Amino acid sequence: MTPDGKKTALDAVDEGPRPSEAPSASPAGSSGDHPAEHASVSALVERFGDAVLRHSVAAGDQHVVWIDASRNLEILGWLKDDPEHRYDMMSDVTAVDYGGGQTLEVVYQMFSLTHKRALRIRCELPLDALEIDSVVGLWNVANWLEREVYDMFGVTFRGHPDLRRILMPHDYAEGHPLRKDFPLRGRFSRAEQTRRALDQSIEHSYLPEEIALGREPQEVAPVVGTLDSDEGDEVS
Amino acid sequence: MGLRKMLPGGGTPATTGGIFGDGSPTFLTSKLDFIVNWGRRNSLWPMPFGTACCAIEMMASAASNYDLARFGMERMSFSPRQADVLICAGRVPYKLAPVLRRIWDQMPQPKWCISMGACASSGGVFDVYSMVQGIDTIVPVDVYIPGCPPRPEGLIYGLMMIQEKIRQESLTKHYEHRAEDPRLVAQPRANAVEVAGLTGPFGNSTQQDQLSSGEAVTEDAESEDLIP
Repeated sequence: MTPDGKKTALDAVDEGPRPSEAPSASPAGSSGDHPAEHASVSALVERFGDAVLRHSVAAGDQHVVWIDASRNLEILGWLKDDPEHRYDMMSDVTAVDYGGGQTLEVVYQMFSLTHKRALRIRCELPLDALEIDSVVGLWNVANWLEREVYDMFGVTFRGHPDLRRILMPHDYAEGHPLRKDFPLRGRFSRAEQTRRALDQSIEHSYLPEEIALGREPQEVAPVVGTLDSDEGDEVS
Repeated sequence: MGLRKMLPGGGTPATTGGIFGDGSPTFLTSKLDFIVNWGRRNSLWPMPFGTACCAIEMMASAASNYDLARFGMERMSFSPRQADVLICAGRVPYKLAPVLRRIWDQMPQPKWCISMGACASSGGVFDVYSMVQGIDTIVPVDVYIPGCPPRPEGLIYGLMMIQEKIRQESLTKHYEHRAEDPRLVAQPRANAVEVAGLTGPFGNSTQQDQLSSGEAVTEDAESEDLIP
């Protein structure tokens, strides 16, 4: 505590960790409701009405909008394509599990290179129905980001072209590690984890389609005019 | 000239053209063990398996300030088939464990292994679902280097301990020292009980009075299969 009664970061250390079941401050935040400060927020409210659930401002100037998860593709597509907004860069797709049976949130962090504006869109998903439409069709970068969210949180992205694990081994059987109900050291014993780890096929992690980043592998141009035909045989 | 002093037995005097110049011996007698171990320990080629910040210190040890080349180790072998000592520098996730094991299996005998740093030796602070809790559950380790990360002097000291270990080896005990069961290729080094002992929560740091099988250390408890 500082003399004027404000908490410091060290006070949080003294209080110790807070169990994930404990009721936390509402994830909606309460830092004010002023959509007019952000052109895209007021436009969203105007155009989509009920599908825009809440709005708040985080970290000073980061506008956060909660939208109806079932209409995420429509709303995000409009935000990307409308010339007034043009959020052409998807900075990050991630998710947050608040624990205690609360809804899991998928977070889209976007930036408009045209208008130099950032916007964060969040979609709430109940834990028993972790499904949402994929936005890979809008931003190609979402491919790996959604795979990561699927791997870590178990959210299924409908329409994703290649929804596989990306960080954990492809045959990982212990669940989705960043969920709050996942035990820190995994579900299996260390001996079982070690055994399963060594049973992995290494080649599976280095498939040509993994390395090709979604494209056909590039053909290397033939080397011209540096080798005689005799030496060419030797080299090949 | 150092070699003449070091070699036991020396040689017999000769007239001219000796191996160290005129008047020096024209041949040497020595123990085969000594010659072989002398060659091995002064040309250790490390296979760097650097996965984290320990690898930065490993690179620093190879650079001119610390200069591993003084010990005959300047040739970092990025191919396991031409390497003698595996330096595992950094944390190893379970996804990487089969890669580490295959690299070890590909190295020709005789081979040694250094576990550099807290993460490689015990999992370090990463006592979590994704991390191997000590690479000694995967491959046999000769020298553990503590530190987070160890300084280059630590790595050099560890390599010199490997050299000392080689100096004491004997060809007649080759199988005792170095033989590996071919059936264990791509298998964990430690059995399930041993892994449980090694990797329990904070296991390596709080169970130092116990063998990795969980038994308390007594005078005669050192059995062959518990020594990595």
